[in-house]
Formats: sequence, structure tokens, C-alpha cells
Amino acid sequence: MNRRRFIPLAGIAAGAGYVSWKSRQEPHISNGPPGNSAVTVIRAASYQEDLAAKIYEGVRSCGLKVKGQRVLLKPNLVEFDSATVINTDAAVIAAALEVFRKLGAADVRIGEGPGHRRDTYDLADDAAYRKTIPRFEDLFVDLNRDDVTPVRGFAGERQMYFPNTVLAADLIVSLAKMKTHHWAGATLSMKNLFGLVPGSVYGWPKNKLHYIGIPESILALNRTFRNTFAIVDGIVGMEGNGPIQGTPKHAGVLVMGSDLVAVDATCCRIMGIDPQKIEYMQLCAELGHLHEARIDQRGESLRGLRTDFKLIEDFSLLRLA
Amino acid sequence: MAHSVTEADLDSRLDFLKRTQNADGGWGYFAGKQSWMEPTAYAILALKGSPHSDEAIRRAWKLAQSWQMPDGGWQPGSQVRESTWVAALGVIVASCLGCLDVAGPKTVPWLLSTKGQESRWAVRLASYVHLLKTDVNVTHSGWPWRPGNSSWIEPTALTVVALKRSLLWKSDHHVNARIRDGEELILSRRGRDGGWNSGNPSVLKYDVPSYPETTALALIGLQGRGNENLSEPLSAAEKLYGQCKSSLAKAWLTIALRSYGVAAPESVKVPGTPDILLYALQALGHPSGNYRFLGPGSPS
Repeated sequence: MNRRRFIPLAGIAAGAGYVSWKSRQEPHISNGPPGNSAVTVIRAASYQEDLAAKIYEGVRSCGLKVKGQRVLLKPNLVEFDSATVINTDAAVIAAALEVFRKLGAADVRIGEGPGHRRDTYDLADDAAYRKTIPRFEDLFVDLNRDDVTPVRGFAGERQMYFPNTVLAADLIVSLAKMKTHHWAGATLSMKNLFGLVPGSVYGWPKNKLHYIGIPESILALNRTFRNTFAIVDGIVGMEGNGPIQGTPKHAGVLVMGSDLVAVDATCCRIMGIDPQKIEYMQLCAELGHLHEARIDQRGESLRGLRTDFKLIEDFSLLRLA
Repeated sequence: MAHSVTEADLDSRLDFLKRTQNADGGWGYFAGKQSWMEPTAYAILALKGSPHSDEAIRRAWKLAQSWQMPDGGWQPGSQVRESTWVAALGVIVASCLGCLDVAGPKTVPWLLSTKGQESRWAVRLASYVHLLKTDVNVTHSGWPWRPGNSSWIEPTALTVVALKRSLLWKSDHHVNARIRDGEELILSRRGRDGGWNSGNPSVLKYDVPSYPETTALALIGLQGRGNENLSEPLSAAEKLYGQCKSSLAKAWLTIALRSYGVAAPESVKVPGTPDILLYALQALGHPSGNYRFLGPGSPS
């Protein structure tokens, strides 16, 4: 082999070696912002309990102030299948609506832009939202088909369009469902913000986000929308091949907080998943607290709440030790 | 509450569309909202040929034409200055209004130049050597929602219809080749249950069930394939209609079934919301509606 051939080949080998070495390194996970974050875990055995009282207790415990604010409740409304647990339960949304009104919010709306199904109103109907939530039609906005405005500086894109209802909100409450996810590992309050992206511009599914990268998109959405609060419906979640084809899993909890990273990390620990092994959680650690020591646990102690959610084979390595 | 279809159902849908036209000539997704290309296009198709609608159509088409971009694509609404999948609707509407000489020369080349990213040679190579984990066939080129993204059933089906209609204006072997390839992509993505979902029949080796709306759109895109046996997907479409809880999906299925001469269910539910797309699709799928505008057309 002469020198002219050796040098590029050696360069390629060195590059491949570096990539291989890098991929074996533990990822650097940010310690997040200064201070600690409050996360409240409230037990709720069923949807028939007084959920408004429980959510009120959780929101107050986290010190959230909403007086005079325009609040957007963002459920996880995915699929026509009322027999299973794909969607955030209507009882949780109705209870959250009651609580934010009671706390003095100037306006409370409900909005969602499902990733695959176009008929958001009938989807909400099937999920019993219309019959459970009084004057639902006046409160609900199909975020896939809302009017939009461009926002600059999203994940390196020149601009990204978002629904005007989302941009007008002072506080977005991510009312997520506690579920496993066949691409991301788990889908909780941060991933739930995918529904803020309008299908009328980005399609069904919102394939643009896949091209940006699912972890990178979750980070960008949570960076763009900082005035958020999470209420995760873990009364009955979904395990196995989530977020659509999994099976119900009773966890009996509502998990709440203003730091969505900390809320999702807590949910993961309840599900028996190591949040530090989920790529998007690693990325989002710059926005909030992933480490258990930096989370002020309120309400129930995590001890005794862990209930391992089944994981598909591709994600078996996520299991918490 | 659903009831049997009557002529009054068509009239009421068309009256609603006329009443809810925005001052700029377009329609929003919901009455009173900003105008968008998609509801405007379907409203034009639904209203075409109905009494006293010429002026409404003229104003709507004028606005729609203003959304044609310099690159030949069409923007989805006034606020979004980017070419997207709605370019196909621009060609379909232009064809039905006899205006393909306006939309065709720039938009057909834009549609021909737009492909799903999965058909790039690097992706095909990665799939061939099993470096890429994908359950879809990447040997065919379809259309994405937006340039730079992957192909999906809905934009592919609508673009195939648009290109078929463009052949009424001008025959072109490049257009024919992309039509055939688009149809092959649709066929390759059919699920085991006979229908289609958004575009992936399986994910990580798990079968994904079909959706009624995408099954309808796939069938709409496959019209005019001659001897192709589509009895299984048509049966799947009928079955999905029976199970379906979405009024919008039922409206799409009605158009698809009627287009194939299959007796479409003769019942219709009054929309619970002022959803322009739903009103327009229900009008198109009515027995006396313009559902054939979403077919390949025939030379006049």
C-alpha cells in the first residue's frame, strides 16, 4: 500500500474508531437549572374519585399561580378506541378545568392536534370529552386546523408555525397519559407537546418532527414553550407496545409539577423505567431536573408506588435497576 | 344522529358553504376562521355546477391562485409562505374549472420534482444492506406532506389524482411514470387487514391497523388502474365504514366507494361543528354530488 492510499484509509479507520469510542461513553447529562423542582404525586385509585380535589391539592402543593392567566389544557387525544386507555381520561380534563377556573384563571381552553387522525372533534366525542365537559364545543380548539403564526428559531429551522391559540396562552397545561412509546421509550408530559404542531402545515403525521429528530423536537418544543405545567394521568396508563397498541396498566397516581423534566422523570421511576436512559430526557435535562436528588417529592413518597410497566424488547434496557 | 340521504342534505351543505365564504373569497377550516387552501379547494369542488355559485367559485379561485408560489408549489394558506402537499389540490381544482393552462405549466413540474426522502439513493442503499430499520418498501417514489419529508398515503393519493387529471391537459411520459410509481407505492403500503393507515403497515414488526380516511384516499388515488383487482381493499373500506366513528372519515369513504360504483351507505350525520371540510366532503359524496372530481377524469 502506498502513502497516497494509506492516509485516507487511516483517516477513515480513525474516524470510525472515534465514533465507536464515543458511542460507548456514558452521555453527559446536564445538572439542569439551579435549585430543586417540586413534583407532587397524588394517589387516585380510579376515575370515579374526587379528582378535582386531588388536582387542586397537587397544583397548590407545587405553588402554581394562575390568577388572571389564559390557560390552555392540552390533553393527549390520539385514537378512536374508547375501550382502552390511549387518551387522557375525560374525568381528568374535566377536573383540571374546574381547578384552573377555581384558581382564578381568566380563560381556560382545551386544545389538541392529534398526530394521525384528522377528525379531532369526533375523536374527542368518542373519548367522552363532549359528554363529560360542559359546553365542550365552546372551549375546544382543534390545534391541527387553527389559524397559525410563524415562530423563529425552532431546532435550527428558519421558522416553525404554531396555532394562535397556543401562542396566546399564558400557561400550557400538559395533561398527558402515562404510556410506553415504541419510538421514544415513554411518552409523558414533554412528548405530549407534539400535539401543539399544526397538521394543516406539517401533515398527519407531523413528519417534519421526525426529520428534526424525536428527541430534538421534544427539546425544541419544551424550549419554545416554557410557561408550562404538567398533570400526568397515571391512574390507568399503558404498558407494552404503546402509545396506541399497548395494554392498560393501573398505576393509581396523578403526577404534577411545573418542571416537566422532573415530572416525567418521576413518572418513569414509577413505571420502572430509568429516565436517564431515555434519549430525549437526557437532552431535556438542561431545562429541568432529571436527577432524583434535585426533585422535591411532595404528596406520596415514591417508595411503594413503583409498578413496572412492560417494555417491548427494543426498550428492555431502559428498565430501572 | 344519522338519517337517510335526501336531496335536501346536498342543498343544506352547499347553502352552508355559500353562507360561510370569507370576504377574501376563501374558506377557513371552521366558519369564521382565516382562509386555507384545503377547505377552499374542497368547497370549490363541492359547489361547482350548483345553482348560483359561479360568483362564489370565481372569488375563491382568484384567492387560491394567489397562493401559487414562484416555485410552482402552492402555500396552504395566507399565513404560510411555503409550498406543501396542497399543490395537488391546486391542480385538481384547476382541472375541474378548466383552468389547467393556468396551474399546470408550473405546478405539474413542481409535483414531478417533489419526492419522498425515502426514495433517495442513500436511503435505498442503506435499506438494501439492512443498515436502515424500516418496514416499508423504499423502491417507489411517492409524495410527502412537505418537500424534504417522507412519502405518506394522503399526499401521494391526492398527487396521483392531480397528475392523472393533468394528462387531460397534456400527455407526458414523465407524468405517466410518476403516476405508476405513486400507485405502486400505495399498493406496497397496504396493511394485512386490506386497508391503509397513514403510511406504515407495520412498526417494529407489529402490524398497524388501517384507518378509514387513508383507506378511502388510497382507493381514490388508485382509480383508473384498469384490471387491478381492488376487491379486498374495497371490502376493507366497507368494513371500516361500519366500524368508523369519524364523520370526516365516513365522508371520505363514501366518496371512495361511490367512485368505484359500490353502493355507499345512504345515511349521513349532521355535522356537530361548523367544519367546512366535513360539509364540503359530505356534499361531494352525495349521490348527486361531484365525487367524480376526485377521480382521474375523462377527456371531454
